[in-house]
Amino acid sequence: MAATPSTVPGVEARAGKFPGPSLIPALNAIQRRNGWLPREELVQLSREVRRPLYEIEGLISFYPHYRTDPPRSVALHVCGDLSCWLSGSEERIAELRARYGDDVEVELVEVSCLGRCDDAPAVAVDERPAKAAEADELVAAARAGEGSGRAAVRTRDEPWPNDPYAPGEERYRLLRALLRGALDPGEIVAALSDSGLRGMGGAGFPTGKKWELVAGQEATPKYAICNADESEPGTFKDRQIMAEQPHLVLEGLLLGMVVTGAEEGWVFIRHEYGPEEEVLREEIEALRTEGLVGEDAGGSGRRISLEIFTSPGGYILGEESALLECMEGHRGEPRNKPPFPGVYGLWGKPTLMNSVETFAHVPVILERGADWWKAQGANGSTGLKFFAVSGHVERPGVYCVPMGTTGRELLERAGGVRDGGELAAIQPGGASSNFLGPDGLDVPLDFDSLAEAGSMLGSGALTVIAEGTDLLAAATNVLRFFRNESCGKCVPCRVGSHKAHEILTELLESGGGPDDVDERIVQLEETMRLTSICGLGQVALGPVISVVGLKRGGTEARTHPRGEASPEEEGGDPGGDGS
Amino acid sequence: MAISTPPVTRSVTLTIDGREVSAREGVTIWEAARDAGIEIPVLCHDERYDPVGVCRMCVVDVGGRVYAAACVRPVEDGMEVKTTTDDVERQRATLTSLLLADQPATAEDPKQTTTADNELLELVYRYGVEQEGEDAPTPRGELARGEDLSNPVIAVNHDACILCDRCVRACDDIQGNDVIGRAGKGYTARIAFDLDDPMGESSCVTCGECVAACPTGALVNKPIRDVPIRPREDLEQVETVCPYCGVGCALTYNVDRERNAIAYADGREQPGSKGRLCVKGRYGWDYAQSPQRLRTPLIRVDESYPKGPLSTDVKGEGRRRRRKPGGLVDYNEVLPHFREATWDEALDLVARRLTEIHADGGPPAIAGFGSAKCSNEEAYLFQKLIRTAFHTNNVDHCTRLCHASSVAALFEGIGSGAVSTTYGDVINADVAIITGSNATANHPVASSFFKQARRRGTTVIYVDPRASKVADHADIFCQIKPGTDVAFYNALMHELIRTDLVDHDFIESRTSNYEELEKTVAEYTPERAAQICELDADLIRRVARVWGEASAGVIFWGMGISQHTTGTDNARCLIALCSITGNVGRHGTGLHPLRGQNNVQGASDVGLIPMFLPGYQGVEAEDIRDRFEEAWKTELDPERGLTVTEIIGSILEGGVRGMYMMGENPFLSDPNVNKVRKALAALEFLVVQDIFLTETAEFADVILPASSYMEKDGTYTNTDRRVQLGRKVLDAPGDARVDWEIVQEVAQRVGLDWDYDSPREVFDEMAELTTGYGTLSYDNLGPSGKLYPNPDPEHSDGTIVLFTERFNTEDGLAHIVPAEWLPPRELPDDEFPFVLNTGRLLEHWHTGSMTRRSFALDAIEPRAEVYLHPADAANLGLEDGGMARVSSRRGSIELAVKVSHREALGNVFIPFHFREAAANLLTIDAIDPMGKIPEFKFCAVRVEPA
Repeated sequence: MAATPSTVPGVEARAGKFPGPSLIPALNAIQRRNGWLPREELVQLSREVRRPLYEIEGLISFYPHYRTDPPRSVALHVCGDLSCWLSGSEERIAELRARYGDDVEVELVEVSCLGRCDDAPAVAVDERPAKAAEADELVAAARAGEGSGRAAVRTRDEPWPNDPYAPGEERYRLLRALLRGALDPGEIVAALSDSGLRGMGGAGFPTGKKWELVAGQEATPKYAICNADESEPGTFKDRQIMAEQPHLVLEGLLLGMVVTGAEEGWVFIRHEYGPEEEVLREEIEALRTEGLVGEDAGGSGRRISLEIFTSPGGYILGEESALLECMEGHRGEPRNKPPFPGVYGLWGKPTLMNSVETFAHVPVILERGADWWKAQGANGSTGLKFFAVSGHVERPGVYCVPMGTTGRELLERAGGVRDGGELAAIQPGGASSNFLGPDGLDVPLDFDSLAEAGSMLGSGALTVIAEGTDLLAAATNVLRFFRNESCGKCVPCRVGSHKAHEILTELLESGGGPDDVDERIVQLEETMRLTSICGLGQVALGPVISVVGLKRGGTEARTHPRGEASPEEEGGDPGGDGS
Repeated sequence: MAISTPPVTRSVTLTIDGREVSAREGVTIWEAARDAGIEIPVLCHDERYDPVGVCRMCVVDVGGRVYAAACVRPVEDGMEVKTTTDDVERQRATLTSLLLADQPATAEDPKQTTTADNELLELVYRYGVEQEGEDAPTPRGELARGEDLSNPVIAVNHDACILCDRCVRACDDIQGNDVIGRAGKGYTARIAFDLDDPMGESSCVTCGECVAACPTGALVNKPIRDVPIRPREDLEQVETVCPYCGVGCALTYNVDRERNAIAYADGREQPGSKGRLCVKGRYGWDYAQSPQRLRTPLIRVDESYPKGPLSTDVKGEGRRRRRKPGGLVDYNEVLPHFREATWDEALDLVARRLTEIHADGGPPAIAGFGSAKCSNEEAYLFQKLIRTAFHTNNVDHCTRLCHASSVAALFEGIGSGAVSTTYGDVINADVAIITGSNATANHPVASSFFKQARRRGTTVIYVDPRASKVADHADIFCQIKPGTDVAFYNALMHELIRTDLVDHDFIESRTSNYEELEKTVAEYTPERAAQICELDADLIRRVARVWGEASAGVIFWGMGISQHTTGTDNARCLIALCSITGNVGRHGTGLHPLRGQNNVQGASDVGLIPMFLPGYQGVEAEDIRDRFEEAWKTELDPERGLTVTEIIGSILEGGVRGMYMMGENPFLSDPNVNKVRKALAALEFLVVQDIFLTETAEFADVILPASSYMEKDGTYTNTDRRVQLGRKVLDAPGDARVDWEIVQEVAQRVGLDWDYDSPREVFDEMAELTTGYGTLSYDNLGPSGKLYPNPDPEHSDGTIVLFTERFNTEDGLAHIVPAEWLPPRELPDDEFPFVLNTGRLLEHWHTGSMTRRSFALDAIEPRAEVYLHPADAANLGLEDGGMARVSSRRGSIELAVKVSHREALGNVFIPFHFREAAANLLTIDAIDPMGKIPEFKFCAVRVEPA
């Protein structure tokens, strides 16, 4: 008998979760065929698969990918989240709205962060990402039936320091060794543990320990998932890693599968990363051709299946248990935890889940050893770290630096504050991290130092905010994002994020500032932080409170919940994968 | 799986609020705290459902960086839990105020202004939060989600919804209806029905389980017949049983005494129904309050002789359309043919006329139809009256029209007509076959247990010509051609024997005549059956494998098995199937004919059938007769009496001349209405005792106004053999009287010295004479009734599984009776190319005299429809909602078309509740030779646009 809520302690009840295969592929097929989901086809689907209509409604109304009316001929998606907001998205959106708002051919939708913060303000025309400045040209082309064309991924010439393979060299050396028995799974776990590698998605759970935990589970089958759903405003480093190092991401994932005994692996990627997904697909195809993925992977007799799962949309899916719910075909609502995915993951089976960057670091650690890795860090930290830098900065982009590099050094590498402005604040770890003032620039960017400073390493995104910016408005913009992306499962996040946003919007409209933030917000922050099911609700008001704290001399900034993630609570993060 | 032994559980020790507590590993903090006497507030949690942990009201401090939801978080060894610190309580207060902000004002709250038990408001008062004021969050404003009043009896207020998911779980996990879910995301998330359709237009079956689950004013009952819904403490609770089907769900009516009316019903805990109800039980009780109730005895006026039907419909005149579609007997048309009389005058007339006819024609000239809707006591007294006053066994009731053939086969095979196990025992079955049963419509609460068992691992096999909703919940669906059951089951047994999946020990030690069965089914290869049943032979093999490999299998069946000319053979096959695989006499195994009427089991038990005295004791056996003659102090007829269908035939041949009908309406319920019309008109004397003017009453000489179920005390025996007390809820209208008293009045006037003063006294006499009831008494039935047999009713609920050691036959063995497949009596041909199947709808009951007078049920299903496969409809040029004429060799009706994906090609379905399009004008009165049951499930018809 299958594991059910009543048989597995801590697993909450099925509410709209029906056994059987996910309906998401079938819904995708209907939408592909029609461009939308006609009611008759949904009724037909429900009847054919004998699943309730409400289950279908629950999915199509939850995932932004689905639509129940015919689309217009051109879809113009615009982003107004923090990095874009800092780059004048409000004005650009107003302009675009004036131009296309009444256009019967163009559907202008304000969407959540597109993950193109280095091109802020960013847009997407028929899913092709672009700078807002290019919107008119692309819309015209799309309207003329010329299509929006494919965006090429951005690459650079010099290899990243975490790549053990020289250009032109045969890749997947470690995987091959493992498959032919020349490398021992135990050694791999030991090396990862020794290296001190921690999950790069947010919560920083020790990677070696996680692999060991999943490897030690008795239940089968097991699964492995690469969480490529980074969606937090300001965060786009995984996008670049996938564009430029697909071989490292996939090798890390495949190594993890072999070590833990998972036969089936997935890369769960946000649908806005179309160009990067294409790169991954090509890489997987090459692996299949080469026989490293397939029925007899590398001649090992072991079956390895590797697929891409394209997200139907929503930041919340980056939360690892919401991601699992989505893959099972449910509404992407985070689970109550424990149990954690390593024990009770996809379809209730042990599941190894790491983020793109975590997997991408594994080959170099195995190749060069834990000591080499440790030596890469700075200021007492270990290893390398990718950062997405955006906002008011000269050269927004992705940087790979020693873990422990200070914000100041990273900012300098990115060319400093844009137009020589003065720094007002940074968000060192993505939209959910607490704001730090200019004095925070000297804090080493690593797990512990940032936590100590009252913020967190988070999703590896440094957002730079120049003097002259209304910090409370910036933090409220962040809150707006979380409100928009709340799944609505639990009361504090669903209602709290909305009410808090209303209060703050009203306050800003009446010209209020951080000093006017009253007890209601302080109390809501506490309630959301302590009682929300997942990290999204727990952190949604953190940045606002940190701005209030900054204003009051930086002493009242609350310790960020995520900064304290204990090993038992590996999954308490929103956008990151907790790994 | 059968009855599994509980896994060995470890116990953990933790501290809750400073107290050391020991708890079983795997339980939640909330459960451990409750067991320790510590209450943790909840909104989304309810012990009836598995936890979801979404309201967060139950959060507790376990020392982590965030709080844990106590309702879902398992206990751990050494855990330190704080449930009510200031910090924790502050978060609960904030959560409460967040929810309150979006609620309707308390003075307008749909729950608080009706039952006044809004659980959110209890927390509001506890935490002293306010809806308005400086610190209160702003209300929903422009994002208000609004109301949905589309369901006739349930009001939805989306703004009062706190998204606790209780209704979702109630709808899915308890009732298995799967209608409600969350739609949308974030703050705009809401509950939705189907594809976010209005509730009244969705697939919702209005069972009301969601209303019972909802903690706020989001889902509340609407008043019925303007009886206001008030707090329970302002109303009187009457604990009784649902009056409709054989499932016999326990319920409580909340009675408004000032108005002598029911305000609303609640499900009530009972080991079988477990507090569940369906739409009929929860909302269909107001028929008793209909202004059309009969209030005074009526005598036919001289001018209205010779007798005949009185209303246009019952006359069946020509092509004349009714003034309006739908409806019941037209009182204005019928009542002028009767005059009001006193009880004495009416009863004297009844006694005189019956006595005269008896004196003139002897015992065979008298017959009585009792009712499976009346209590055990009434059924007992009615048959005793007919048998002792008129010395005839011509007494029967509608069991003849439902499970007579099943009972015949069961008696022959295992010596008992009752179910061998309860419907709830399905949870212990590896596999359940549901066959010839539209259980989701006809036994909705029993079906909820089938659906639930499937979700816990029971494989459900559905064998039926219609793809009813049961098919949606089956693992394997065999859509056989109508009337091919014997071929299907013979092939199944053929395959079981071929693959040696039979239970040799059981066959050896507990059955007889296996060899004959083996010979018969040898001819029924899956291929041959596949041809007859129009099914894939591999499907039959698959069913055989699943059934054969299961360690516990149970069969539930309905009228689709019994209402055939081969009804007895069909049931014989099911008995044989269980017998050869050892699937009787253990938990999770057995034979369960799902009983139709609320008291069809009881009425049969206490002798309301022509071949048996109470307790299925044959009238032909001298020793039995001696015993009853001694008890009843009179001579009894030594020969079997006539059955329902035979009595109708006998009237036309001049045999039966005088009849007493208590609560039966054969005009609509019996096959071949045109024949019944002739018979009823030919009766020299007919007394009809009923609560409404029925079609049958149009032929009466005297009409006696009776009490409804709601107006009397009595006991009722459900499909599980559970004997339960029905209690008086309301006062009867006008001069209407309780049925058992009327029967006693007639008895006294025909010379019997009866002097019963209460149902209790009748019960005690009856129990002593009725096999199985001996240990039961009116007083030991208790609030949830007792299963019979019951060796120790003071301490035990009774026996769930029968035949654990031996069967009820003389040799104690199951007697296997093989059957050859025979085609139905009237096959389709060029002139009548369709097969007509008849049956019931979820919302209606039999001839509709109750349900069509229920506001809710009539509002949901107001009209007669013929259900057709989409392709058949298209070929005939019929559209959904258009009118069709359906004709058979016996009659023709016009009714609306319902295009339905649930019918097979070439088959049509018509529910028999609607007099204006009476399905039984079409049905054939061919009967099963043993069970004497008519073939309601098969006749040939023609369908054309009307």
